[in-house]
Amino acid sequence: MKKQYLFLIVVAGLLTFFSACKNEAIYKTLIITGQNNHNWKASSPVLKQILDETGMFTAEIMITPDKGGDMSTFNPDFSKFKLVVLDYNGDSWSDKTNAAFLKYVKNGGGVVVYHAADNSFPAWKEYNEIIGLGGWGNRTEKDGPYVYYKRNKLVIDTAAGNGGSHGKRREFIVTTRITDHPITKGLPVKWFHGNDELYSQLRGPAKNMQILATAFADSAAGGGTMRDEPMLMTITFDKGRIFHTAMGHADEGGGPAMQCVGFITTLQRGAEWAVTGNVTQPLPSDFPSTAGVVLRPDFKEMTLEEAISNVGNYDIAKSTKYFSYLQSQIRKLAGNEEGLLNLEKMMVKVLIGNETTVEAKKLLLRELSWMGSDYSVPAIKDLVSNAELKDEAEFALARLQPQK
Amino acid sequence: MANKSSRRDFVKRSAAVVAGAIVLPQIIPSSAFGMGGRIAPSDRIVIGAIGTGSQGMSNMRDFLRLKDAVQFVAVCDVDALRLAKAKETVDQTNKNSDCRTYGDYRELLEKEKLDAVSLALPDHWHGIIYSEVANKKLNVYGEKPICRTINDGQTIVKAVKKNNIIWQTGSWQRSQANFRRGAELAINGRVGKIKYIEVGLPDGNKGIGTPPIQEVPAELNWEMWLGPALHVPYRGVSHWNWRWILDYSGGQLTDWAGHHIDIANWGAGLEHIGPVEISGAGVYPVEGIYNVPVEYDFLCKYANGIEMRVANASRLPLGMGTTWHGDLGWVHVDRGNKISASDTRILDEVIGENEIQLYKSENHWQNFVDCVRSGKQTIAPVEVAYRAISVALLGEIAMTTGQTIKWDPDKEEIIGNLRASRMLSRPYRQPWTLPTV
Repeated sequence: MKKQYLFLIVVAGLLTFFSACKNEAIYKTLIITGQNNHNWKASSPVLKQILDETGMFTAEIMITPDKGGDMSTFNPDFSKFKLVVLDYNGDSWSDKTNAAFLKYVKNGGGVVVYHAADNSFPAWKEYNEIIGLGGWGNRTEKDGPYVYYKRNKLVIDTAAGNGGSHGKRREFIVTTRITDHPITKGLPVKWFHGNDELYSQLRGPAKNMQILATAFADSAAGGGTMRDEPMLMTITFDKGRIFHTAMGHADEGGGPAMQCVGFITTLQRGAEWAVTGNVTQPLPSDFPSTAGVVLRPDFKEMTLEEAISNVGNYDIAKSTKYFSYLQSQIRKLAGNEEGLLNLEKMMVKVLIGNETTVEAKKLLLRELSWMGSDYSVPAIKDLVSNAELKDEAEFALARLQPQK
Repeated sequence: MANKSSRRDFVKRSAAVVAGAIVLPQIIPSSAFGMGGRIAPSDRIVIGAIGTGSQGMSNMRDFLRLKDAVQFVAVCDVDALRLAKAKETVDQTNKNSDCRTYGDYRELLEKEKLDAVSLALPDHWHGIIYSEVANKKLNVYGEKPICRTINDGQTIVKAVKKNNIIWQTGSWQRSQANFRRGAELAINGRVGKIKYIEVGLPDGNKGIGTPPIQEVPAELNWEMWLGPALHVPYRGVSHWNWRWILDYSGGQLTDWAGHHIDIANWGAGLEHIGPVEISGAGVYPVEGIYNVPVEYDFLCKYANGIEMRVANASRLPLGMGTTWHGDLGWVHVDRGNKISASDTRILDEVIGENEIQLYKSENHWQNFVDCVRSGKQTIAPVEVAYRAISVALLGEIAMTTGQTIKWDPDKEEIIGNLRASRMLSRPYRQPWTLPTV
């Protein structure tokens, strides 16, 4: 009896311990917005949603006074937050707020600089060190060099000229330049980003800054510098870590630049790194590649349940993403026999479903042909007599039950 | 089998009669004149082309550039427009209108009397057609990669060996001076003992989503184009772009394995062996019908301690091409006559007479012609081509399964992994089967 009580106590203790861990892992986040030459009313809730989606952050949006308003009333208590996300490009804050922000960063607070926040505060020296590179606001050679890649080499260019430009909005390829940084580890080297402004000619102090990713501003594609312009950067400022994304120009509801899985993922990972110096989030299976842009209109990552319940309605003309997701899960389960069998059972259930399209059945048969077990065989044998599925069923059986 | 030998016997018997005639009813293959299956240096090789798309025509032009080396007499393609263009090229060269055309390779093989065939087909067709032409004892110039699966490759190698034909793989980089020079420096220890090789192949391409189902163009025999592959409706993807769909190809990885992996093997003495362990990861498209990996990165370990990393070029410091790293430095080769080394003095090294002299060819198509005449081994024989593509195919399996693959390069089997082993072949759609050898 005593042993049982002891067991219960241990279990209760473990449960408390785990829930405590979970609570500790939620980082309070402050999104600052309210003035911007961009649509901050659209972007700030999306930033919140993207960060909250990880289960790692709980973000609140703080709106500054309007342009020309009394900025002395904008007085956030930065010390309450682990992360500050800047979606602000407007009037100067009060000296007191500036000092409080700098203190927060110097003491190791995390910062995310989002898109036009790098246009803000051209005259505030420390802010420009925090963002690394900025644009517009009469930034010139006095504010620091242009920094970019040219023919795969980093260039620090002190030439005279204005900072900040962009060509026509377009989809473009982002090149991951540092592949062993926690934020970019495992990312494809090249990936398509959703329709966005390709920020170019940013210049600034660029102190303690690493460029993680660039994008080629091709003049043929609607105006550009013909340089590989920095898109994702990390900066350290005293003890503070800053993640700077130049991407994500917002439309109503976020739009393609914010719905892009590349934008979402790098923001989530960059935010975690800014807080902890590390990234624990796995790379999502729908991360884009050179194959094309991948959007998440609801900003949510697909789940297995969602994939299984949708893969049966498979219409290749609409989307292949549910099937791609299934394939990625099979890879992830490599070596896990129990997990693979569970997945196989789910796939067979869809395979024999009356509602399942012929196209879906064909694709499931191809996949089961190599990842399946004896469990699939009876269901597949039943399909051999189906004229539409005969070839695929025989294909699968030839692999699952080879004739020696 | 009985039919085949009797046809050949008939050809040989009738050749003696025909040779005396003034007007030949058709071009008689030189091998028919009883030269032990080989051709006199003065005789042109009678050749047919199966697959007359971009690469097939490119090979045809390369053969036609050789002076009095070959005579094309028949062409075959499943696309009538391409077939007509091929015939036009041949007829213009031959200054007649005799080039015969076929929409079905079986008919060409049945009716034509040839010394050799030039083959350039989508990979999913290689297993059947390469083995069948070998079984017909025709000499082959065949495009890389020689197979879509390891099992196809094993069958092809067996067929070529058993029938003792001359085989040249379209791995033409072997006949380029910079690649040979790099490989020769590497194999003779000019960068020290080779420890590690990097092979950079092209990055993947942009997807096209899923185009709607379309009416098959009148000129295209879609059923025959698909052949042993699973049936899918026509969506406008056939010529050239087949290489982005796994049913027909493994993408840039398998397309280029017959070039830079082949060169890597050449310079490291890996031409007749295979890796023992393969692991890595690919990046796959999320949307669209193109489903080959657009990025790929895997490591092969060999029993002799050498490691080879194969990846899309953007992931590697030196990008495209082959780099042999030894304990004393490295040497890198790529297209555009590129060769470079960790120390330029390596490039000035002279290879002595007592050292390994690699096979030398200055023209890949001429080398084939020369070997058909002499009976000697070509610069890119079949087994070597099989070992090059198997590296890519094993990498593909490792990436698809997400597992480290153990490979027995002698028995040519995957060890202890049923799922991975299933991917050593792609079952054929009835009525197609791999020929027995």
